[in-house]
Amino acid sequence: MLKITNGQVYDPANGLSGEVKDIYIEGGKIVNPSSASNVDEIIDASGCVVMPGGVEIHSHIAGAKVNSARSMCPEDHYDHFKVSTWESRAGTGYTVPTTYLTGYLYSQLGYTTAFEAAVPPLEARHAHEELSDTPMLDAGIYTLMGNNYMLMKVLQEKDDSRRRERIRNMITWLLTSSQGYAVKVVNPGGVESWKWNQRKVDLDTPVPPYGVTPRTIIYELAAGVDELKLPHAMHLHANHLGETGNYKTTLETMRTLEGLRTHFTHLQFHSYGATKKGGIKSAAPEMVDYLNEHPEFTFDIGQIVFGPATTMTADAPMQFNLHQLTGNKWINSDIEMETGSGIVPLRYRPSIMINAVQWCIGLELLLLSQNPWQVVLTTDHPNGGPFTAYPEIIRMLMDRDYRRSRIEKLNPRALRRTYLQELDREYTLEEIAIITRSAPARILGLTDKGHLGIGADADVAIYREGRNKSRMFAKADHVLKDGKVVFRDEQTLEGVAGKRFIVAPDGPRALAPDLVEDFKNYYTVQLSNFAVQEEYLLRPQEIPCG
Amino acid sequence: MESHMRHFRKFSAASRGMYIPEGRKGRKVVVIDVRPTASSRMADIFLQVTPGHDFEIASVLRAMLKGLKLEGLDEESLVGGVALSRWRELLELVKKSRYGVILYGIGLTQSRGKDLNLEQVITLVNEINRTARFCIMPMRGHANVNGSNQVLTWQTGYPFAINYNRGYPRFNPGEFSVVDMLKRKDIDAALIVATDPGAHLPQFALRYLQSVPTILLEPTITLSTSWANVVIPVAPAGVGAAGTYYRMDNVPLRLKKIVDFPYPSDVEVLQAIKERVRHAKNHKRAGL
Repeated sequence: MLKITNGQVYDPANGLSGEVKDIYIEGGKIVNPSSASNVDEIIDASGCVVMPGGVEIHSHIAGAKVNSARSMCPEDHYDHFKVSTWESRAGTGYTVPTTYLTGYLYSQLGYTTAFEAAVPPLEARHAHEELSDTPMLDAGIYTLMGNNYMLMKVLQEKDDSRRRERIRNMITWLLTSSQGYAVKVVNPGGVESWKWNQRKVDLDTPVPPYGVTPRTIIYELAAGVDELKLPHAMHLHANHLGETGNYKTTLETMRTLEGLRTHFTHLQFHSYGATKKGGIKSAAPEMVDYLNEHPEFTFDIGQIVFGPATTMTADAPMQFNLHQLTGNKWINSDIEMETGSGIVPLRYRPSIMINAVQWCIGLELLLLSQNPWQVVLTTDHPNGGPFTAYPEIIRMLMDRDYRRSRIEKLNPRALRRTYLQELDREYTLEEIAIITRSAPARILGLTDKGHLGIGADADVAIYREGRNKSRMFAKADHVLKDGKVVFRDEQTLEGVAGKRFIVAPDGPRALAPDLVEDFKNYYTVQLSNFAVQEEYLLRPQEIPCG
Repeated sequence: MESHMRHFRKFSAASRGMYIPEGRKGRKVVVIDVRPTASSRMADIFLQVTPGHDFEIASVLRAMLKGLKLEGLDEESLVGGVALSRWRELLELVKKSRYGVILYGIGLTQSRGKDLNLEQVITLVNEINRTARFCIMPMRGHANVNGSNQVLTWQTGYPFAINYNRGYPRFNPGEFSVVDMLKRKDIDAALIVATDPGAHLPQFALRYLQSVPTILLEPTITLSTSWANVVIPVAPAGVGAAGTYYRMDNVPLRLKKIVDFPYPSDVEVLQAIKERVRHAKNHKRAGL
């Protein structure tokens, strides 16, 4: 048995906020000291903060588009590399690190779980292969559904109860064939519509080829997720990402989904107001006012980080616009009947007014929202910037003076369009623990993660306390994964394979007969070869529904 | 046709889709090549070009697409051996299309101009996308070349031509690619997996390779098995071993094992070698 002693424990889910308490670990779990055998290893955490391992709710770390970005941007790798050691493998990359390096980098930040945010079912096998080569992290994938032909076809069904049943079956089939964890929706209808050269899609615009509307897609999918009682809500990247004035669409989307659990991802990119002349301004207060009243909704930030980023999403039209706007290189991909995707590398600069406003909006969402259990810290890695910027963001949240010093470097025109300089709030360590581990674990429905109660997974991060929070969180003092010390003395001690989270909702695993015909006619693979085989999951763990 | 036998029928020219139920009749196939091939015989339009003019052709097409005046060229002038008027027809066809794709092979990337040819063609596709839906896809050699590119990219950040001699991956085609390494005599041993250098390398490179110790993992008798120092027979993937195959459009497919082979798979052999090497290094490290 291993004991972590003398540490100040931050375990918000169990009401601990800096109390000194010993933690006992055996068999990869947190255990009760009385029930267990002798202590044979002690970690002295004096002067340290002990937290559950970090939980990443939204990050692009594995799969087809991530890998395309890697090969598209060798310039991202030349200056950022890691030499192999006896215990760890070599790697390269800053905004899009290679798989092994991704695992080591998350681990040294004290993160032990991460979810890949967007995977087309047809390419799910690829994402799982990469996750198998990503050590240190328990992981899962979100399966893209918002522009799926067969799903949109099902939505045409007039009879309510039959439609609801067919949607549930479709979700079950897509999730189980892709070995996915949650339903991901990206720019519902908008991606497919763009492929037909129809650029502007609002919530009630009928979308080719079947004429269903984005509003129908999101409502029906969210209801389906609720009825299936999936552990994680519908994970929604709403329409009109990045467009000036888009907060109206975002609010309208929220009103449509009222009462249904939904996770709004990278909300920063969806919280833009418009000035009289059509310029960008912050609409963070409007968003937060609404969200404070609606506990059924959760969100992550998608904070932007000044410096290089690689934008990659299934939102192909948005990527095309970004390419037009910046003139930077661009890859677009069309994934048959399922979705699209695009990649554009870019650099955010404090001197650019729009970037400065985006930066402020992300922090405003964090500082204005009242209930930390609704909020998760993300950069939408690597869209807003790399996840390695989390310590810096934490410092800005916890240290008002530091934040002010950064605000002074912004394009001054941005300050007239935002509220950040008026905000005095400073996050406490407890609140940081919530938005980086406890809240995401709860939102994901992972009962063994994000806390240090008896029976929880022994994923633990120990940070040496210091005034400079950026330095404190940049490299953990100790990181434990499944009860094993995997990071200590600034060294990765061991590469460990993580678990893969999957779900098994009720309902038939097979595709409906009329859709089988469509699949046969229009997919480029055989139906029997479509589903991801179990061989691709090293350590699958099913998280129960309900 | 010759390297991707089922492509025409299954994926490109003749497949029946939701919007082209008539299949081949609903599509236009244009082949641009330096000589008639099995593919060009199936094409609606065959443009036989003179070798080494790829960059020029792509540049002229880009200029025409933008409506720029081509000074010194009239409709009958030859661009890459084909009249300008015919290139104009091709461009009109492209602009009218609902969904087009350019499939290209090493004829474009390994001829004069190399990567610059490709950059020009990709830029052309990019510009066509302002008005039409168009994409481009490399048709790399045979079999699972893409799979090797994918795995190397997620493990090292680069698709090929990777050098590990400093303990981390470095990438520089032309310096770290096989032919260049052999030409400079930079290597003193070779482990060869799933390829037949005897059939593919230029003479001078092959001659040097034959002078250093080589280990070959190979399921059949090839032009390399006769001279390799060690040949380890392996079960062929997709027949005697399972695995993953990345299609040319990056879609990963499961390869099944159909029959038992007396030989181990590539993975098993490589893992065994790796463990032995690690074991030996461990001894050295412990000072034994």
